[in-house]
Amino acid sequence: MIVIYSTPTCVYCKMAKDFFTKNNLAYEEHDVAADMKAREEMVQKSGQLGVPVIDIDGKIIVGFDEDELRSALNI
Amino acid sequence: MAAGVYAARKKIKCAIVAGDFGGASKVSGDIQNWIGTQSVSGYEWSKMLEEHLRAQKGIDVIQPDLAEKVEKIDGGFLVKTKKGKSLEAKTILVTTGSARKKLNIPGEKEFDGKGVVYCSTCDAPIFDGKVVAVVGGGNAGLEAVLDALPYASKIYLLDHNEELKGDAVTREKIKASPKVEIILKTEPVEILGDKFVTGMKYKDGGGVVKELKLEGVFVEIGSYPNVAFVKDLIKTNEFGEIIIDHKTQATSLPGIWAAGDASDVLYKQNNISAGDAIKAVLNITDHLNKTESHREYSK
Repeated sequence: MIVIYSTPTCVYCKMAKDFFTKNNLAYEEHDVAADMKAREEMVQKSGQLGVPVIDIDGKIIVGFDEDELRSALNI
Repeated sequence: MAAGVYAARKKIKCAIVAGDFGGASKVSGDIQNWIGTQSVSGYEWSKMLEEHLRAQKGIDVIQPDLAEKVEKIDGGFLVKTKKGKSLEAKTILVTTGSARKKLNIPGEKEFDGKGVVYCSTCDAPIFDGKVVAVVGGGNAGLEAVLDALPYASKIYLLDHNEELKGDAVTREKIKASPKVEIILKTEPVEILGDKFVTGMKYKDGGGVVKELKLEGVFVEIGSYPNVAFVKDLIKTNEFGEIIIDHKTQATSLPGIWAAGDASDVLYKQNNISAGDAIKAVLNITDHLNKTESHREYSK
């Protein structure tokens, strides 16, 4: 399962979401600007105060890096 | 991208090596001066340009990848990419733009993503109810303050100059906010923290080191040109920008051209960079027509 923690103004989050869409991958999105609980969850999972944080079956990826996502997803 | 479109239309066999499309403006919330477009987000804008580029025939788009080293070889150049590709080319156009400057102080690297922020538009909402500092009083710094205003409980704006340099309209808006405290003639010394940022030390105008308690440091102190991969071959100025002939965009080494923020162009603007890259391609075309019968590179 893919979970992405994002903010509405974050371009790298949009790039990641576009990448998932282009590759027909479903994802769950949490807007950490509005959702305090999701923000805490993101910080706890990643130790990061920056978006995007992407959780792919427990593997945490910080930022948008197409190659890193491809290798985590085996595509 | 402008260069790629023109190169394709001139039927020059060319490869475009890019990490990403859109450059520094990609993260801009709203671009209002791209001629022909009243308002467009940086992301939409970069997609528009990328689609225009990818619609061209006869060019090879190598992305995501980055040029890592350019070497002079017989009859041209060898470009080595980060992912291990080797491209041979008769001519090279450098349009690699610029990257953000870092503070280079203790704590900055350790707390990158843990309170140290380089994309205020992205991360400002995470600092809801928190005290933050923006370092840099140019336009980017002022915009970072505006990004943080709806969220942060207090914003320190630090700059090393005696006055803020950004646009007057934005400056007034910022000065009017009771949340913002402007501290001038300062130099950040250290970013403090445990798991996350907890404070920042800075030197004030009199050289006294002071400390601010805060949870976020937004770094907006300008940029430097991305030219390391080609620097040994061509002349650069004191800012690291490639020195070009402004009529043709040619660099000090025949066969290499440069355009945009990587060059010593006076105004760093999207419209100008696009025009300059086109100028370079047209000059490259003239050069190839004069000197070569074959236009190609090999992988």
